[in-house]
Amino acid sequence: MAVIGIESSAHTLGIGIVKEGRVLANVRRMYRITDKGIIPVKVSDFHANGLRATLAEALRKAHVTMEDIDAVGFTRGPGIGPCLRVGQLAAGALSLGCGIPLYAVNHGVAHIEIAKHLGRMRDPLAVYVSGGNSQILGLVEEPFRHYKVFGETFDIGVGNMLDNFARQAGLNPAWGSTVAQAAIGGRYIDMPYTVKGMDFTFTGLLTYAVKLLQKEPLRDVAFSMQETAFSMICEATERALLLSGKRGIVLSGGVAQSKRLAEMMREVASEHGVRFFIAPNEFNADNGAMIALVAEKMAEAGMKSVRGPGEINQKYRVDAAEIGWEG
Amino acid sequence: MRKISEGAEAELYETSFLGLRAVLKRRSKKGYRVERLDTRIRLTRTKTEARLLEAAARLVRCPAVLMVGKYEIWLERVDGTTLNALVEKGSLKEARYCTIAGVAGGYLGKLHTNNIVHGDYTPANLMLDRNGRLWVIDFGLAEDSNALEEMALDVLLIKRAIPVRAYSRFMKSYCSEFGRGSLVLNKLKEIERRGRYQTRSLLTA
Repeated sequence: MAVIGIESSAHTLGIGIVKEGRVLANVRRMYRITDKGIIPVKVSDFHANGLRATLAEALRKAHVTMEDIDAVGFTRGPGIGPCLRVGQLAAGALSLGCGIPLYAVNHGVAHIEIAKHLGRMRDPLAVYVSGGNSQILGLVEEPFRHYKVFGETFDIGVGNMLDNFARQAGLNPAWGSTVAQAAIGGRYIDMPYTVKGMDFTFTGLLTYAVKLLQKEPLRDVAFSMQETAFSMICEATERALLLSGKRGIVLSGGVAQSKRLAEMMREVASEHGVRFFIAPNEFNADNGAMIALVAEKMAEAGMKSVRGPGEINQKYRVDAAEIGWEG
Repeated sequence: MRKISEGAEAELYETSFLGLRAVLKRRSKKGYRVERLDTRIRLTRTKTEARLLEAAARLVRCPAVLMVGKYEIWLERVDGTTLNALVEKGSLKEARYCTIAGVAGGYLGKLHTNNIVHGDYTPANLMLDRNGRLWVIDFGLAEDSNALEEMALDVLLIKRAIPVRAYSRFMKSYCSEFGRGSLVLNKLKEIERRGRYQTRSLLTA
């Protein structure tokens, strides 16, 4: 079975092709974020304009034509409405035009599943960190099989905090890796540290860090903010690991591209003697291959496909998605 | 010293202190954190825990603080079984559970009246001794706070962990002990309308 996956929940348009769990193509086009952040209408225009070329490139790279494709998947949510709409309409059109089934995929589930799949992990604790999300999850069977949220951010995602800080500090491009660059060689300054059980918050830390920019060097502020935020996530993860008794950790999502966070999380895993896996960067950033992979799993498990062109759900929570396939 | 358990942030050892049976709780160093942050967290949490435990000991039955070090606390050793363990063994009948929940509710009401939020008020941290008396243990996540939000989260944890009838007994004595009990209940309703908890109630509906 060969499946196309279309991802367009935020700034990246991704189209991937997966065949029997093997990634044949994973093409991504990213909207360049300016100092104004993500403007939904502009990004959805960017996605719509890039669809045709991105799809053609994915097919070419995979050495297949549309006739070889057996199913198509799209990101139902969570994400930015106008952006999600582009992917859903494109996938719906492919499904109707080629007469192949359409699968609606949860974005968070896709991030976790691709990391698990590549790392050959069966039932790990999943740490999912991105711009809009920061959650610690694990599979549970009741009342149906789904990813239970053990802990999560009470306000913004950690990536959102890093991007916002980058913009306010005048960094360009304004995202996490630039903050990481700026933090090299920094010294630690005390900052607000908020962990509540297995949950955490980032807005207080962000406000404090931005204010501190007026009197402390950028390098130290960036370093301290990053260290504080990542330590919070690690502490919550450690608690969830002991509580759930899971024997492994996978780190996924856009912020998993941070070398420092990966290093810290690896340390948490090794202190508790459990396995650790992190996927290559192209699968941590938003991508179409992960959507295709989950759509394929859904098809193989005999889960229901979508009738008609499908629909989006901006607030489609990861713990509301049924996992119909074996862990 | 025999290690009793290893939690996410501290280790517990069986020991003695001036001839008394004691438990030593030590906050261990975490390799993933930068030194300065690590030290700060371990220092402040140890201090806060000891201070709030001492305050709580005047209100409810909880282990006495024997001595406080930099990163460690020596506590009175209590022989008992946690409610969690009793439930797992199946040796806790519902009527008995309700009576105990009533006591636990009164305890939490007293703590909240004095602005002590426990932070992890679950059956795993409530213990019955041989004489059937209830103890509150582990103030590791406790905070000084008069915020309704924090108090409501204490209640939410226990609500999710105990049977419905036990919970209603719990709330009855909580509210009779704590003047702002009804405000906490309103806050709790508001929290349960938020995304994550809403999904959870949809799932179980």
